[in-house]
Amino acid sequence: MASIDLAQLPVREANELLRRYGEDGEDVEILNPDARHHIGVGLVHPIQVRIRGSAGYFCAGLTDGPRFEVDANVGWGLADNMLKGSIVVNGNAGAIAGVAIRGAEVVVKGNIGSRAGQVMKEGTLLCCGNANFMAGYMMYGGRIVILGESGAQVGQDMTGGTIYVGGKVNSLGTDAQLIDLPAAERDDLLAFLDRYNISYSGSFQKIVNAGKKLRYPRTEPRVRQGPFFMASGSQSGYWNPKVQEDIFIRSRIGRYRIRGYGASRALPHLTDIAFRKDLSGIQLDRDVVAKVNLKTEVGGRTGAVPLRLSMPVTIAPMSYGALSKSTKIALAIASRLSGVSENTGEGGMSDEQRREADQIIYQCLSGRLGWNIHDMRRANGLEIYISQGAKPGLGGQLMAKKVTKEIARIRGIPEGIDLRSPSRHPDVLGADDLVIKVEEFREATSYRIPVSVKLGAGRVRDDIKIAYKDGFDFVELDGLQGSTGAASHEVLEYVGIPTLAAIQEAMDALAELGATGKMPILLMGGIKDGVDAAKAIALGAHAVALGTGAIIAGGCIACLQCHVGQCVVGIATQDPEHEKRYNVPVEAQNIHRYLESVRWQLAAITHALGHADVHQLSRDDLVALTPEAAAITRLPYAPELREQAPYRKAS
Amino acid sequence: MCGIAGSMYKRNGAQAQVGKALISMLDGCQHRGPDSTGFALYHETHPGEMRLRFFVGTREEADAAIEKIHAKLAEHRAHILKEERAGTSYSVNVHFDGDVQKLSYDMERAAKLFSIGESLDIVKDLGGAHDVDDAYHVRDFHGTHGIGHVRLATESDVTADASHPFWATGFSDVAIVHNGQITNYYKMRRRLEKRGFAFNTSNDSELIAVYLADKLSQGCTLEQALKDSIEDLDGTFSFLVSTKDEIGFAKDHLAAKPMVMVETDDLIAIASEEVSLNRLFPGQALNTTEPPPGTYRTWRRSI
Repeated sequence: MASIDLAQLPVREANELLRRYGEDGEDVEILNPDARHHIGVGLVHPIQVRIRGSAGYFCAGLTDGPRFEVDANVGWGLADNMLKGSIVVNGNAGAIAGVAIRGAEVVVKGNIGSRAGQVMKEGTLLCCGNANFMAGYMMYGGRIVILGESGAQVGQDMTGGTIYVGGKVNSLGTDAQLIDLPAAERDDLLAFLDRYNISYSGSFQKIVNAGKKLRYPRTEPRVRQGPFFMASGSQSGYWNPKVQEDIFIRSRIGRYRIRGYGASRALPHLTDIAFRKDLSGIQLDRDVVAKVNLKTEVGGRTGAVPLRLSMPVTIAPMSYGALSKSTKIALAIASRLSGVSENTGEGGMSDEQRREADQIIYQCLSGRLGWNIHDMRRANGLEIYISQGAKPGLGGQLMAKKVTKEIARIRGIPEGIDLRSPSRHPDVLGADDLVIKVEEFREATSYRIPVSVKLGAGRVRDDIKIAYKDGFDFVELDGLQGSTGAASHEVLEYVGIPTLAAIQEAMDALAELGATGKMPILLMGGIKDGVDAAKAIALGAHAVALGTGAIIAGGCIACLQCHVGQCVVGIATQDPEHEKRYNVPVEAQNIHRYLESVRWQLAAITHALGHADVHQLSRDDLVALTPEAAAITRLPYAPELREQAPYRKAS
Repeated sequence: MCGIAGSMYKRNGAQAQVGKALISMLDGCQHRGPDSTGFALYHETHPGEMRLRFFVGTREEADAAIEKIHAKLAEHRAHILKEERAGTSYSVNVHFDGDVQKLSYDMERAAKLFSIGESLDIVKDLGGAHDVDDAYHVRDFHGTHGIGHVRLATESDVTADASHPFWATGFSDVAIVHNGQITNYYKMRRRLEKRGFAFNTSNDSELIAVYLADKLSQGCTLEQALKDSIEDLDGTFSFLVSTKDEIGFAKDHLAAKPMVMVETDDLIAIASEEVSLNRLFPGQALNTTEPPPGTYRTWRRSI
């Protein structure tokens, strides 16, 4: 057995060494752990690791296969997202022990902290002592066994899985219920205990989900008044076809309306900004793309390998789940053909998607749906989703029709539920926890892959400062105009701040920190073409992400029914009959051509403004056309340009 | 957003190396808050003697502030016994037997007041635990107990005076370090302001300090005050409070903020993370406990 002494070696080097021992199949003991964080993170080999003392946060996190034993205690996030393998802790564990495990066996001989087993999918979490507040919170599957007391609100909002309690059940959580325990299940439990040499002769109470909150009682009736754009930006904010439609639907379901797409009311936007210089001669030069440098690198701030984009454009995060696999593949192909990056969105990474995209950002959300160490390692960028512009403060929604067997398997959740992802991460309850989480991701990927954060625009100034201090490589900043596959009307329309205000606040925040230009911002939320992109970059964004635009290029008709799951063009659906309508090679080419048109626009504008590199665009190139846009951006107000040539105007 | 730490020694009395202990514990969790670091330390008391520490900045700005402080102290007939400048602060020991609340509210007009107490001294500044120690020699501090804080600023400014610990403005010797966010801050603040209390910052941690100190001044025990705080304060919190003779903690019902503690025959040590506690006991596996949600506890110095 090899030894690693943490009194001599920092955790980062120790973990690298540990992974090498893993490759060689050699067991390891860790000396002087002294409750340090991230011990064993990212290990994917079935070796034994003995920790001689206490470990800190995320012990054995993001692993697959190893068998750990800890002599004393562990901190928060024990065995985070562990796939196969096991860990035995001889002392106590802090909060969220067994968070998001997908098959691991986690045994704690002492007590466990609050929210144990949060969003776990599969595997066993055993606590020989007492559990604490909200054990099994939002769990999707697997089992939690508590030999002592359950703690308050056990099984709060659990969706699937089972909780067995030997001692007192202090109180049941919302939508949890006690049911009878079949004898065979008891034998199973005792056999598990026996394997870990734990003697127990008491009884068990069995807790499962009561099934009252898994589905909305009524679904939105389908209406097709017209495409989204008949409503968005409408001159009448009071009464218009969309308002009529909202009222009709709410009169049938008696709750908030869920729909696809984004904010439909008129908001200050990049269209209210214009270029200062007359660009009327812009169409003349056909070779302009060759004359301007558009190449953009994102994410090298801390020494990771940056994304290398052929232009300052990426595909916005959209999930396999919200979108069909065919659509995700078409987006991946188009991203490769245009030399930009794709993004997995919430639902995990498919092999086809990985194969087709040259560069892909892998998104980690609160529910850890489809999240695992192997896909982390094969990503080109990681993204911690805190919130998105379409619905800041809320998690994703995927209606039952789309939660098919396949989607449920990838995400590790029960089939056919109305999936409402948690609104916050189990292990990120503040900037202080977040910094430890970022470090876990870096450890798991050997500091090779850039780690970013996605922020829905709310308190941008504060959030950007936190992101900078927490050491993110870049930020994906998503304004109020961002769209989504499903969210409630109230949140889509009224929560958050516009994209234009978001980028301005972000720039101000970095300037206040003396960090202008040091942390790239990828701006998204209603950016529809290269003209918007050029303005965003001139305002300080390092690159942009296109979501809605890419989907429309690939065949979307903007009917707002994305949440229903029966998309007539085969995009927002998991139904094979509907998906058949989607022609992947054709739509991939359509999206690619759209991206190339964006490239041409970016190049033409950059060139016409007298720059050789797109990143030379600056605020000096811009004016504001409306008092609101001028107030938000502090650009010079130039109402006289409102009526002039279209390229000088918005777009 | 931050890390907290506190310790009380049971045996060595005023000679325990509280300063050194807090420096190592805070250095151990500096990742939770790189912006600033602070300490609330409790010195031996001398009858009739008060200690005041102000934020004065540096150079001419500091000279001007100190001049104003001198004038104000004279106005209140506080006789200066000892004074010292260190880092960005100025501390002064005075002979004073008047109304502390009146004095402290008025002194705030001369310069930003960090602390007043017969025993309390709050040292806080930008940077890590070792940076602050280099400027203020916290390591040389001996006593029975103290609390400390590392801060990652999320909403208010990155300045020395927005750093923790917070003193209970107007009340001597009460200090607090807090990890979390009080969501009924304005409601509670208005309630206390109506009763005549002043607040020097818009930081929710100052509110907790004043809330507790008010209870203590009405004859409440620290234990009872902490118990009430869990019901009265809304939000996420794990905080440590210290007075001349006691140290205590309270934790919210949601258990959203971490806290672990270890107790031996010699000391009680509490921190956000076990890694801080282990700094006091390198190489040892500790028998720690994590206080359950909605709990509180206090310890009183025995010497």
